[in-house]
Amino acid sequence: MNPSLTGYYAGRAWLAAGPPNGLGRPPAAGQPRRVGGGAASRLANESGGSRPRGKAGKGPSGRFRPMGARVGRSAANGSGGGAGFAPKRGEEAMAATGGRRCRRLEGETARAVLANADTLLFDCDGVLWRGEAALSGAPAALGRLAAAGKRLCYVTNNSSRTRVAYTEKLRRLGFPPAEPRHVFGSAFCAARYLRQALPPGAAAYVLGSPALAAELEAAGIPHLGPGPAALPGPAPADWAQAPLEPAVRAVLVGFDEHFSYAKLCQALRYLLRGPDCLLVGTNRDHRLPLEGGSAIPGTGCLVKAVETAAEREAFIVGKPSRYIFDCVASEFDIDPARTIMVGDRLDTDILMGNTCGLTTLLTLTGVSTLEEVRGHQESDCPARQSLVPDYYVDSIADLLPALED
Amino acid sequence: MASCRRLSGAALREVLGSAQGLLFDCDGVLWAGESAVPGAPELLERLQRSGKAALFVSNNSRRSVAELELRFSRLGFRGVRAEHVFSSALCSALFLRQHLLSGGGAGDGSAVSRVFVLGGEGLRGEVRNAGLRLVGEGEQGAEQVHAVLVGYDDQFTFAKLAQACAYLRDPRCMLVATDPDPWHPLSDGQRTPGTGSLTAAVETASGRKALVVGKPNTYMFDCIVERFGIDPSRTLMVGDRLETDILFGKNCGLSTILTLTGVSRLEEALAYMASDSAAAKDMVPNYYVNSIAELIPGLDE
Repeated sequence: MNPSLTGYYAGRAWLAAGPPNGLGRPPAAGQPRRVGGGAASRLANESGGSRPRGKAGKGPSGRFRPMGARVGRSAANGSGGGAGFAPKRGEEAMAATGGRRCRRLEGETARAVLANADTLLFDCDGVLWRGEAALSGAPAALGRLAAAGKRLCYVTNNSSRTRVAYTEKLRRLGFPPAEPRHVFGSAFCAARYLRQALPPGAAAYVLGSPALAAELEAAGIPHLGPGPAALPGPAPADWAQAPLEPAVRAVLVGFDEHFSYAKLCQALRYLLRGPDCLLVGTNRDHRLPLEGGSAIPGTGCLVKAVETAAEREAFIVGKPSRYIFDCVASEFDIDPARTIMVGDRLDTDILMGNTCGLTTLLTLTGVSTLEEVRGHQESDCPARQSLVPDYYVDSIADLLPALED
Repeated sequence: MASCRRLSGAALREVLGSAQGLLFDCDGVLWAGESAVPGAPELLERLQRSGKAALFVSNNSRRSVAELELRFSRLGFRGVRAEHVFSSALCSALFLRQHLLSGGGAGDGSAVSRVFVLGGEGLRGEVRNAGLRLVGEGEQGAEQVHAVLVGYDDQFTFAKLAQACAYLRDPRCMLVATDPDPWHPLSDGQRTPGTGSLTAAVETASGRKALVVGKPNTYMFDCIVERFGIDPSRTLMVGDRLETDILFGKNCGLSTILTLTGVSRLEEALAYMASDSAAAKDMVPNYYVNSIAELIPGLDE
């Protein structure tokens, strides 16, 4: 007598209009789709065999469109996607050239690729360090890159540290000096997004860390919410009577160790109060790996809780969203063709790099494995192809030989 | 596809006349908050007099069936006993008992099945009554945890989410949710987050999909059939939420009546009816009424 796993959300996903920011309708990355219509498009993504191929860049059915930045884990599960936004010209061109090859970066190729790059973007956790320990050879490799005149930027989904704190950590672990303007954390980018998207004086209700609050402060955005909920009574009925701050026009979800039902309640109240209350998330990472192989829940879980209660989709600033790259590109004169994205996660770092037209380099010192890459390469699904990097190394220390004079 | 007809007059008498029993959702159907829907107690009384069965199937995992029996009585409904009430709390406990204590057992040879429950005392009580042991919050013991049960938990915290995920790293540990509801209405028109939103957090963190006991899945109907042996073709499902009650009715082979005293609006039912999606069409009720009091004229005097 097993419960049938009927698609409860089938109807709600259908009924829900696209989110106000027009990012498209499908469930967030990380959730296998249970939408009725999704089943059909899932078949379209995977079948490859029985349907006529459309033009290069389109799926087997001819109707599927690569989901670009929205694919994430659902592609990794092989469930592909469904309707999403139309591919940008770069995406179609890349898919048309037959997919990336994930070659080991070494020897002459490494020399050429590095010589051809002006800028390298680095994810941090699992690429430069693990916890408080720099990965062996990483400081040296970055030191050589800096000495060779490369611009180094740091692009991280971690919303628990400010840019200044990141520069301090880089210095402490022996990396070349960096200024805050080289660091693009999801906290900073979320504050930047809200500064652009909110009317002057509008405030944000924040589920997040002191670092996220500090970035909002630095961006001049009034905010409330970080820390344990201040409860006006013991029961939800009491919480629903607590006064709402009139100036709040956005709910921002970041990593929040004080996340609770009461805060989720407040977030829902703000989102329902007016039609134009924004819902923004710093990132969708499911898990934060810890030393020793265990992990704690990531921001993506909290974003999903809010999205489910509110029946709407968040705008995500962090990888694989384009937005965080746009922050880098607006600060520096970036030529995507001369920029390398270095990361350890296929569904964030590599996906973002690919969809933004960068050269992508996977390092195996973190989350993703070569087996996963091969699985994506062998699939017929264009969305999964977007997760394949151009190159890989076992660790970024492997770049050192190519950087010797 | 169902046609969402207003149920009244001769059609009403015919539909109720041929029914042996009715399954009622509770919140938004029989009562809203602390007030009974006007006419609802009378309807139940008339059903009893007509010899028709009335059973209750609720996704609300806050209360034990003993507490629900008291609630029925307090709100003016007479003659409703705990054995008539199928809450997602009860059925989740039955589901866990079935999967953890019977043949398959705990899987690790231990005699005791331990469950980490994210939920209130009502849910915890039902799990205990089913013969299962509860894991305490913050507990770090070495004993295996056999299931994580996510219910309505207004004391949900990041720490509990992390604790649940730690247990779920063991693939033998089941992940079960009482219901999928994303939110529930409050009496002042606001909404409070439901089990569905908490389950989404646990699923995302653990990479697992929960087995959802409540409507629209059919397990609660299996529980009802096992206890009372009803015939779906002679039973009506009455509910206020298209995505749970009406879809549940469809999944169980019941004719469905939407009542408009709760969550779903008639416009939403009509929108589902107009859609191309098969999944949406399954949520169109056969009939609707403004309130279940409108069913009374369908019964003989």
